[in-house]
Formats: sequence, C-alpha cells, structure tokens
Amino acid sequence: MNGFQAQELTRVIEIDQKKCKGCDSCSSFCPTKATHGKYGWVHSVDTEKCVFCGQCLVNCPFGAPKDVVDPVDKVIGKLNNKNVTVVTSVAPSVRVAIGEEFGMEPGSLVTEKMYGALLKAGFVVGDTNYAADVCIMEEGSELIEKIRHYMLGEPTEHHLGAVPQFTSCCPAWVRYVELNYPQLIPNLSSAKSPMMMHGALMKTYGASQLWKKKPEDVFVVAVMPCTAKKFEAARPEFTNAAHYWREKGEQGSYPDVDAVLTTRDLARLFKKLGINLASESGVEDNGPMAQYTGAGTIFGNTGGVMEAALRTAHFVITGKELAPIDFKPVRGLKGVKEASVTITDAKTGKNVTLNLAVVHGIKNNIKPVADQIVAGASKYHFIEVMNCPGGCINGGGQPINPMGTSWLDKAKAVLPWS
Amino acid sequence: MANYDYDYVEKAVEVSRREFVGILGVVGAVLWTSAYVATDLIQDRTKYIKMRAQGLYKDDGKSKVRQSHNNPAVTEMYKNFAGAPLSSLSEELFHTRYVDRTKLV
Repeated sequence: MNGFQAQELTRVIEIDQKKCKGCDSCSSFCPTKATHGKYGWVHSVDTEKCVFCGQCLVNCPFGAPKDVVDPVDKVIGKLNNKNVTVVTSVAPSVRVAIGEEFGMEPGSLVTEKMYGALLKAGFVVGDTNYAADVCIMEEGSELIEKIRHYMLGEPTEHHLGAVPQFTSCCPAWVRYVELNYPQLIPNLSSAKSPMMMHGALMKTYGASQLWKKKPEDVFVVAVMPCTAKKFEAARPEFTNAAHYWREKGEQGSYPDVDAVLTTRDLARLFKKLGINLASESGVEDNGPMAQYTGAGTIFGNTGGVMEAALRTAHFVITGKELAPIDFKPVRGLKGVKEASVTITDAKTGKNVTLNLAVVHGIKNNIKPVADQIVAGASKYHFIEVMNCPGGCINGGGQPINPMGTSWLDKAKAVLPWS
Repeated sequence: MANYDYDYVEKAVEVSRREFVGILGVVGAVLWTSAYVATDLIQDRTKYIKMRAQGLYKDDGKSKVRQSHNNPAVTEMYKNFAGAPLSSLSEELFHTRYVDRTKLV
C-alpha cells in the first residue's frame, strides 16, 4: 500500500457494504475524494487517499461508514489490571458532546461529570487542555521566533521552518499536507499535537515526578472527538518517552499514547461499566495534568487555536495581555476567516503587523489558501487549519448528528418560539 | 346507425382572473413553506455545531485563568522538567517531523 510508513495503521474507516444505499452523501463530505462508487452503487473507502477524518461517518444518513479500530475492551482490561496506571488525555471537544450520548442537549458542558465518571471507571484523569496550553507555549514560541527572525531581522539559534506557519494539531490536516501538498511540509509547525505532547509528557515527567510509577506501567488513553487521532497515535515516530528513558539507561519500548478512544467509544465504555454520566456527581480538581486555562479549552473550536496563540504571542511580544481577551474576528463558521493585528515589540519598539487566517472544512476552503502559498503570493504569517467544518467539536469521533434522527427535535428547530 | 359526433372538444376549465390569482397564491404559499422548511432542516444540521462551540466558549469564559502562559501547572512543568519552550528537551518531547507520503511506496 502506498503512502504509509512501516507499522502504521492503514485502515480506520470502512463502509459497511450491506448498509450502503449508494446515496453518495459521503462523497459530498469527503475532503480527499476517497469514497469510491457512483450514485446508486455500493461505496468503498480508498484508504491510500483517506485522511481518516470520519466526516462520512458522522454525516451518512444510513450509518454505513464505521470506525473499525475498537480499543474499548483492551482499555477495560488495563483498568482491571492493578499494576497499571491508566491515565486519560481528554480532548476539549469531548466535554461539550459526550452528554448527548446520555440524553443531554448538544453543547452541554459536562467537564466535572466527565471527570467523576472517569474516576469511577478507574482512570487517573489527565486533560488534553493542559497539553493544549503547553502546545501554545511551544507553537507560539516557534511563531515568535520566526517573527523575530524573518520580520525583525534578529539572529536565531533554532532550525526554523517557513512562513506562513500552519498549525499542526489536526492529524487529518497533517496527513492531507503529507499526501497532497508535500511542498508545504516546511510550513507545518514542528510542534506536536496536544495529544502527542501529553502522552510523551505523562510517560516522562508524569510518571517520574507526579505519580512515581515506572513509565512502562503508565497506560495513556487519549479520548478524542476524532477518528484520525487513532492513525496519529500509531505513527512510528511517536515513541519519544521510551527513547527518553532508554537514554537514561532504562529498558522498554512503548508508544507515547497507547490507545485512542473516540467520544462515542468512551460513552460505550461508560455504558459497559454501568456508569451513567448524566447522573454523576461532579469532581472539579484533578491534579497538574488536568489543570487548564480558557485558552486550552477553545482549541476544539475553529479559530480557537489562533485565539489562544494570539493571547500568548501578544503578551510575549508586547509585554501586555491582549485586551479585550475575546478575539472575535476568528470566531464563527465562515469558511476562511482573516484578521490583521498590529503589535509593538517591547524589546525594540518596532511595530509588527501579523496577518492571520483560519480555515476549517478542508474540502471546500483550503485549496485557494494553499495554492497561494505554493505560488509564493501569500500575505499570511500564521494559518490555523482544521479538517472538519466547525473544528474538532464536529469531528468524526463525536456523537452522530444529534438532530438528524428525531422528528421532535426537528420540529423544535423549525418552530420559531421554541 | 346513429350519427355519433366524434369531434371531441375539451371542456375548458373556467377560471376567472380572480380565481386564477387565488390559485397562484395557494401554490406559491405551498412552495414557499416547503422551501422554508427544507432550508431550515438543512440549517438545523449545523445547529448542534454552534451549540457545541458555545459550550467551549462558555468554558473559556468561566475559567479563572484564560491565557496559556499563565497556567501554573505549565509553568511548574517547565521549571521542574523541560526548562523552557524550544529547549533541547522540549524539542525532543514536544516537536516532531513529517513525511512526504507521495514518496512512500
């Protein structure tokens, strides 16, 4: 099979041949034309083109595409093993969607209930939002370094990539670039996604300093709104924790993230263990690996990474906090959002104008932006890209369209007074 | 044999101008309503996206700390472990490389 590294996961999404009615809906959501089949024919997924985003899965009216990677029983097995510390990394978008699987309204914010349910199931709670904050420090510093070097002409000690800098948190987007725009790879931020940072951090710093465990006894379970994250965790380069410990004379070989559950998978795990999230009492504080800021939590929305990065970049460059803190131009569902910010460098007194862009829904919106960079005509410095329309909150691992099946809800949406 | 007249003349529909305008109105109303319902159902498909997005902005709004560089647990981690962003340990654990998949066969 072409386009895969050795030992990589090659299949995440498959179409159930019995359920597919050939309606071709999947093709109108697929960003890479990976759903093969004409109208009226049973469709199949071309895994060499597929970026594993799962948009076909959450939008198919017949529920034909399915996620074929199911680690739920493996995770339950680890939870039952008393020698293993099973820690989670729960993504931002999970907390506003998992409630739907337990009969709550879409958008219900259930962070505390979710922590409670995770603790009851036997997990040690870690929150990807914490790693999102670390990600902003790394990716933001990389951007600031580029601004200082390319725009203010300062020397640099780092090996810097190209400008504009793309965000690299979205695994479907990263795979999309690797498959379709390899010439733009230097533009991708070298920062890992928060999930992968969290995994590496929990098996090094977490294991030795926080929990006093052997890293091989720490089992990291990421809970993601995303099917592409299952592919990302299986990339062979993500074994940095094991490498770190081998350099310190330890033995062992393990991935940074051991298993990835989607939001749907976690709901299924809770149900298997008899835990009803909706009736859980809340737990608020969960130690350093789950301590997060507002900037970390908005990572799940389109424009969120940009806004979080700007809050920190603004402070680092000007020495003052961004005010007002809500940066509205990057919010909302417009396909390509643009903003321009002029800030004064506290060190040199020079003014810098940053041109920012936010793209979501790769299928319809990325091509003009990417082609412009290839042609060398892009005015942007920093571009956030998320594959799914709306961002991770609408990811392929989220509960399936909560408003698609119930006529009562549809009526409610149509009536102006409800 | 009876002399049948086979010349068939279609019975004209007798509609006055007033009635015709009325029928147009009814047809128009039916079309408009169904179009309205259809677009509303399509928009409804994206309503849950907005509701989830609002959920996260609500989480941001009620956070005591709202900037990553002010997260005490992150500052603590850099102090006790990784040093600083882009330090060599940070580069080792928090950064990665990418592959040109068009060259992987």
